Amino acid sequence: MSFTEWIFLLGGLAVAGPVIAHLLAKPRYRRLPFTMLRFLRSGQVESRSRRKLRDLLILLLRCAIIVLIAMLFARPLLHIRLKPSRTRSVYCLGLDNSISMAYSDGSGSYFEKLADSAVDYIRSAEDDALFNICALASGDWMQGLGKEQALAEVKALKVEPGSANVADFLSGLSRANRAEDLGDNVSVLVLSDFTPNTLRQFINVAEPAAVNRIDYEPIVSSKPVNNAAIADAHVVGVVEGKLTINAAVVNYGQAEQNRRLTARAGANQSDPIDINLSGNQRKNYQLKLDVGAAGRESSSLPVELSLSNTDGLNADDTFYLAVSIPGHEDINILLAGESENRLFLLKTAMETLPRTSSYDTLRIKQVPMSELADSDLDWADVVVSSTITDHLGNLASEIESFIKAGGRFVCFVTEALVPEAAKLLWQQDVLAALPGKCIRERTHIQPKPSDSQVSGVDHIAERSLSNYRIDKILIKGYFECEQHPDARLIWQFRDGFGFVYLKRQGSGTSILVNTSVDDSLGSLTKSSASVAFCRYLLGESHQIDEYCFTRDERVLLPISGGGRAVTGQKQFWVETCDGRNRRASVADSFLLVPDPAGIGWVKTLGKPTIYAGVNLPQGETDMTKPVASELAGVMDRVFKTGAERIVSEAEVFHDKKRRPLWKIFAWVLILLLLAEPAVANRLKR
Amino acid sequence: MRKNRKYLDPVFLSKLGNMDLVARCAVEGFFAGLHPSPFHGFSVEYSDHREYHAGDELKFVDWKVFGRSDKLYIKQFQQETNTTAYILLDSSKSMSFAGDGVVSKMDYGSYLAAALSYLMLSQSDSTALILFAERVIKHIPPRSRRTHLNIILTALQYNRPAGQTNLAGVLHTIAETTKRRGIVILISDLLDDEADIFRGLAHLKFLKHDVIVFHTMDHQELNLDYEGLIQFEDLESKARMRAFPQSLREGYRQRVAEFLDDIEKTTGNSGIDYCLLDTSEPLDRALVAYLSKRKRMM
Repeated sequence: MSFTEWIFLLGGLAVAGPVIAHLLAKPRYRRLPFTMLRFLRSGQVESRSRRKLRDLLILLLRCAIIVLIAMLFARPLLHIRLKPSRTRSVYCLGLDNSISMAYSDGSGSYFEKLADSAVDYIRSAEDDALFNICALASGDWMQGLGKEQALAEVKALKVEPGSANVADFLSGLSRANRAEDLGDNVSVLVLSDFTPNTLRQFINVAEPAAVNRIDYEPIVSSKPVNNAAIADAHVVGVVEGKLTINAAVVNYGQAEQNRRLTARAGANQSDPIDINLSGNQRKNYQLKLDVGAAGRESSSLPVELSLSNTDGLNADDTFYLAVSIPGHEDINILLAGESENRLFLLKTAMETLPRTSSYDTLRIKQVPMSELADSDLDWADVVVSSTITDHLGNLASEIESFIKAGGRFVCFVTEALVPEAAKLLWQQDVLAALPGKCIRERTHIQPKPSDSQVSGVDHIAERSLSNYRIDKILIKGYFECEQHPDARLIWQFRDGFGFVYLKRQGSGTSILVNTSVDDSLGSLTKSSASVAFCRYLLGESHQIDEYCFTRDERVLLPISGGGRAVTGQKQFWVETCDGRNRRASVADSFLLVPDPAGIGWVKTLGKPTIYAGVNLPQGETDMTKPVASELAGVMDRVFKTGAERIVSEAEVFHDKKRRPLWKIFAWVLILLLLAEPAVANRLKR
Repeated sequence: MRKNRKYLDPVFLSKLGNMDLVARCAVEGFFAGLHPSPFHGFSVEYSDHREYHAGDELKFVDWKVFGRSDKLYIKQFQQETNTTAYILLDSSKSMSFAGDGVVSKMDYGSYLAAALSYLMLSQSDSTALILFAERVIKHIPPRSRRTHLNIILTALQYNRPAGQTNLAGVLHTIAETTKRRGIVILISDLLDDEADIFRGLAHLKFLKHDVIVFHTMDHQELNLDYEGLIQFEDLESKARMRAFPQSLREGYRQRVAEFLDDIEKTTGNSGIDYCLLDTSEPLDRALVAYLSKRKRMM
């Protein structure tokens, strides 16, 4: 018998407690007058000895309970001597069928060499050996195979367009080990090109696997590696009907790459760009693809970037990038402040917006509040007011018409606020909240807006605002506001007062920001969150989206917003990279495709047609050869030979030589605990 | 019945305090409970009829005879021969034992003695009371006057248990000193040498006394229902013994049963009435035993 957690056996020392108590305890007698002592006396000698025996038995019983508890925590194992049986040989093969194994140096692909090596290895094994084979790219295990079955499985194995997954292999190896008898001779063979990506995964393994023997073979070419790949690509924007794309091309080999890079979307093709890369060099190139009117009409445009000529590996020469190009709009923003400089910071932040990504073009005009006129409202799409003045109150009906016609009215408040004017605007249903008493107390804003479902704000900006430490920004004062019945409080101060109120009216929106731009919000507009905050206030923009995923990622496609709203549907049919039609579920206005099944295009079937490009993970086809000594060190660390296999609780249940005893101990303990009062009571009679 | 039985409950009687009241309650409670009693009226026996004379009580007129003969006749009752009852109450220290702490064997014996005295004197029997321990402590000679009851009850009231038991010696003394034969009622816990006790009782029996033994035992003495560790101290000898009653209980009960069985058999063989009384039980068993004996004597 042995113990898994022997340290708990020290708990057995607690038996000293009852023993000492037994030794020290003195019986306390109650004095009682009696008459018939002669009838008691004859049984006295017998009872005293019996009492001692009884006390001893109860002591032993209680000691046994304590010892059993200690042993139970120590988790005892019973070693059983099994009849000697012949040791079986179990071979676990980890065969790398990731995309990098498709590399060919002219004398056959890496994968063909891998298959040959695996076949030789299997053939050299004993006839009654068992084989467990794991395809590293898919993580699939074929277990308990005979020799012929193993050979057939190796021959049927194909390269998968993905990365090798070492974690799946090792966890599967652990499971396979458990299924075998601990006396079996377990040998492991790993055949891979050990690209940096794969080797990194082996290096990151925390818990080594105990095996009897480990063999590995790096499948690499003796010649210099000839492989370039398009590692990444992003859309810069659309200028004059031309889509600008930045693409990163990497030479993953030693051979110099002189090739041409082209982008193609349907019938349109970009001008080829010459690529000249020396060994292991990375460069960014800009492509301009004419998308014209077709691009604007299409909700999602599939753009393929490809390298001309061929190298050792073709799979990474094409990059798939789906681009959504909505029509750009010019947004006229009118900043109405009490003075010229009042909204300076806000203006600065807004001017930054069109420069980021592909935001709509903003045209900003600034007027003093007192000069705000009807004609300005006619011109503007968005009116931003620094406070509420008499003049603004006089324009209440005009502003109401402006909002109803689809305008956006953003109003800040300061202590210079004119209550009568605010009342007028409130009566005209212009304001989302009516500012009341000014509270000059310092407060902080909640870290993020409270309602993510409300329409009229930019949800991307809302998410990005969560990344800034807005909750650290100190606000010096605010107003006690009465919320309009139709308005929603979309952001709060920490003390519960409203920060941003939003009201939809007609096809427009009115927003009240319950703080001053310069006194308090100055802190916010000075901060790095100011641009995101402006974007949040200005609402959704018409911007270019790109849908580009890697093979390991889940494909998420937006199916609402931008005029593509799809309501009521719980699932969509999509065509995945392997050309098959699969179901994709809808979750929170996103279409979720769990497995793109390769690299290439995923597209929705039916309207709206949305494309998503699926590519190899960056660096997957980095064919840098492993250093032999480093590889040996890593494999020695990951696979421990000669060491006793670590026995976990789950494994013990499958171990035929070691049986857990703690269940028996637990039952005995329960019985003893139940019996102790009854036994003690019985003995005391 | 149940209501009246409370007057026989020793715990209830112990609360009365006054021995006269105790005796009255016990006896009248007993008869009320037995109504109609087969023993009622045994003290007077019908003997003859005589002619009615002026001044005779009308309640003694035999109306049935008047109905048949149209003449008034008086029923005459013959007064029974008086007997003498000797009540021997053990007053040794062991009689002070009260297992439940309310009614001691002494109390119980005193109530019984009082009730019996009341009963006997109401039947015009001469009643004597002998209190004893190692020797006779108090001897109240037999009288049949109703006022004699007061003397007996006062003696019982102020009697305190003391000394060791010497039952055999006392019985021999009484046997030798009593001149007239009668009913000897022994109220004792019989905690003495059994052979000596039997010899004393046999002596009384030899002198043609009718003997009734009321063996008063406490409930704890019979059952030993104590729990926990106890140091027992003998009331008479002051001997001590530590014991764990739970472990002794079975053997103790067995030995007590043997002891009681032995007494019952020996007394039965000698024609002595034996009545074991548990002090937790009402007095009526003792009274029934006495009255049965009294009836057999007539």
